[in-house]
Amino acid sequence: MGKFLSLMTLLLAAVFAGGTASAQSTAAAKKEGKAVIYGSLESDTMEAISKAFTKKTGIEVDYWRASATKVMDRAQSEFRAGKPLFDGIATNDNPQQIMQKEGLFAKYDSPSAKAFPKDAIDPNLGPRYRNVIIGIVYNKGSIKAADAPKSLEDLVKPQYRGKIVMPDPTQHTTTTQWVASLDKVLGGKEKADKYIRDLAAQKPILVESLLPAAERVATGETPIAITYVKYAFIFGQKGAPLDYVRLGKMMGDGHYIPLAAKAPHPNAGKAFIDFFLSEEGMTIMAKMGEFVNRKGVLPPLPDADKIQFVEMVDLDTKEFAEKKKEYTKIFLGS
Amino acid sequence: MAQKAVALERVLPAWSASRVGTFFAQPINLIFVLLAGVLAFLTLYPSFFLLYGSFTDAPLGVPGHFTLANYIHVYADPESYRLLLTSFIFGIGASALSVFFALVLAWITIRTNAPFRRLFELVAIIPNIMPPLLISISWVLLLNPSNGLINGTWMRLTGAESALFNIYSIPGLIFVESLILTPLAFLIIAAALKGMDPSLEESAKTLGSSEFGVVARITLPLMRPAILAAATLNFVRALESFDTPAIIALPARIEVFTTKIWREALGSFPTNHNLAAAYGVEILIIALAFVYLYRRFTSQVESFSTVTGKGFQPHQIDLSRWRYLATGVAFLLLVVLVVLPFLVLLLVSLMPYYHVPTWQTWQNLTLGNFKFILENTRAHRAFYNSMFLALVGASICMFLASLTAYMTIRTKIAGRGLLEGLVFIPWAFPGTALALGLLWAYVDFPVPIYATIWIILIAYVTRFLPYGLRAVSSTIVQIHKELEEASTACGAGFIATFRRILMPLMRPGIMAGWIILATIFMREFSATLFLYSPGAEPLGPMMYFLYLDGQRGRVGALGIIISIICVFLIAIAQRLSRWDSKH
Repeated sequence: MGKFLSLMTLLLAAVFAGGTASAQSTAAAKKEGKAVIYGSLESDTMEAISKAFTKKTGIEVDYWRASATKVMDRAQSEFRAGKPLFDGIATNDNPQQIMQKEGLFAKYDSPSAKAFPKDAIDPNLGPRYRNVIIGIVYNKGSIKAADAPKSLEDLVKPQYRGKIVMPDPTQHTTTTQWVASLDKVLGGKEKADKYIRDLAAQKPILVESLLPAAERVATGETPIAITYVKYAFIFGQKGAPLDYVRLGKMMGDGHYIPLAAKAPHPNAGKAFIDFFLSEEGMTIMAKMGEFVNRKGVLPPLPDADKIQFVEMVDLDTKEFAEKKKEYTKIFLGS
Repeated sequence: MAQKAVALERVLPAWSASRVGTFFAQPINLIFVLLAGVLAFLTLYPSFFLLYGSFTDAPLGVPGHFTLANYIHVYADPESYRLLLTSFIFGIGASALSVFFALVLAWITIRTNAPFRRLFELVAIIPNIMPPLLISISWVLLLNPSNGLINGTWMRLTGAESALFNIYSIPGLIFVESLILTPLAFLIIAAALKGMDPSLEESAKTLGSSEFGVVARITLPLMRPAILAAATLNFVRALESFDTPAIIALPARIEVFTTKIWREALGSFPTNHNLAAAYGVEILIIALAFVYLYRRFTSQVESFSTVTGKGFQPHQIDLSRWRYLATGVAFLLLVVLVVLPFLVLLLVSLMPYYHVPTWQTWQNLTLGNFKFILENTRAHRAFYNSMFLALVGASICMFLASLTAYMTIRTKIAGRGLLEGLVFIPWAFPGTALALGLLWAYVDFPVPIYATIWIILIAYVTRFLPYGLRAVSSTIVQIHKELEEASTACGAGFIATFRRILMPLMRPGIMAGWIILATIFMREFSATLFLYSPGAEPLGPMMYFLYLDGQRGRVGALGIIISIICVFLIAIAQRLSRWDSKH
């Protein structure tokens, strides 16, 4: 009996200790009061997730939004000066890898990560929570579905000459990366090189970034755009007659949300990352048109489940400069 | 030798102590030293980091080695020189056109009896309230060659095959930038025009000059300091502006300074601060050359004195039947400056998504974007932050600007030129480059300023002090010394004279400057973007990110609400200024 009692006591103690550990981290997170996140994720999406998180935990989220380049710039500067103010960073792969190499992040295995496919988990950065996919979007008012291009190769056919808008690959970094990765979906470097020249010969209208490209298609100013597929949903929701070409394989950028190595609010930061990657967090994001990687959560876009995601190549500073130079010759002819 | 040293030791302390004592016995000298200290700290500290950055091979914040590579990159590139020419054409064109618009509008509204002139005076300020980014976007919507509203209508009405005017060109770039710059020129020129002594004009009339002869031979020459101030200010502002070039020059493949800095350094991946700093130094040198020119133009300060102690009321010119033409010209400017961009903004704010309006658009109009802004807590916080920055920032800025203007123009204190030099340094740097300097300058600062709203306040005061200074200088130059001398003769000290004589006389300039600054601070984004901290987001970055996320409707709604707030700010400021003069 005595033995039984002591065993029970031990068991209870173990259960309690476990419970207390989790309760302790929650209490610590609450005591820290807020989590500070830097990122290039759209403010609306972050706001929706933060609101749900604050409602659940009482912990506030301060979000500092900027372009990926500026996010990296600020985070690195603070880190180098020894005064990092961020607990986590939500942005795309390339800058995340650079920051990771510089030691800005801590390794954190979020319990929410289990629900992500293994190939969508980076050993250092954790789950790739969303894929931002670039494809062909067209205006149904300007082009009938039957007349729309069916593949990337179709885009270089004579009937689409002057009817395409895309971001300037000599200026817009993600587009530089996209053009540089075309061999991944076109079956080899040679084919890709020829394709790039043919695409340039179509005299596409070059704009500053992916959004203006989508806007021009939404207005009908240009019928076809190379842009984020999610815009077909986002603008479509507001009434623009947009659809996307079912390419099968589509390239894009992966996004991560790692924990900062010197987080001023580490527990609140962890709690937020856990919630962000949870089913609730990812569902909120998917509803806004995002392709999230958590199993079973899909955006409300027709045939979203059929898209095969191909990650674009990472380029370093030197490679970016070389590619931009090369594309200046091809696309701008100088 | 030893004896000599001892003698020196005895003499020197006594000499310096007495000199220093006498120097500081006068409050004006003490204020001068304090002011110089504040200005030096505000401007030199971050500027040092930028200069240092241009000569080092590591990003700011990391120790690096001395290098000339950044300068070699800038100057070895033949494109740099072509770019210099384009930037100058753009800067001079935009500045000249804006001064011309401002002069015409100011003259009609202040000096003539054209009907409805008071209305035009008020609306000349409104475009300053509208965020430049939105003005550029509005004009792209109106004048882009493929489906701009004006071009489209023109082609439909006349059956023409090509557009009336292509906004994606250097003339287009100059035109839009000049519209953005006009209100600033108007405020400076109008303040000087209001404070002009009419006796000179009356003498000319008495001597047989016609009304237009008076304008050409008396009014315009008297206005020279204000015109030059406005032109210099706007030239540099155009040179460093990024809003219009980003919207118009980039798609048109026109390369100016700021687009190159953005493309090669600040917007490149990863950011190259060192190169940005080297470009920044280049702009600094050009701007300093213009400041030097400006100072030479206005060196004979006395000859510009037009406000004296004699009671005066600016003389009003009777245009007789020409006055309707004057109203027509002012009305046309009003349409171009305010009505068209505002209507486009309003239309965009009422559309569920941004597109070229069709008949269906009118059925889909919605107030949803306004509802979002009014109900969103993030927007509320941003309004609060920006109001704080506008009210406190503009007041601090104008206080420092008035003191600096007085010291540099009116006193003979040795080293007074230093003050103006100090204030011009941040003016010459592009906003983003200065912001970078500030960020690193304060990241290691012992007082916790980094990542608070105070760093933005410091940035605004530093960066926009020259604007305030220009506004107040053109007024102070015109105030005749006899008023101060009378005050001093009656026994008033410097502080009393400054407060009771100079401040009231400088009021038009101070109020003009305050209005410019408060409206700029309400929506500034290029420097703020780098400096704002999580949880303290002002309106500028909020609007920019809404724009970046494709929420044009919300941007439009936010822009309109900001404009309304600014109109209130201006109305209150003008009310206060009038109330003050009555009491």
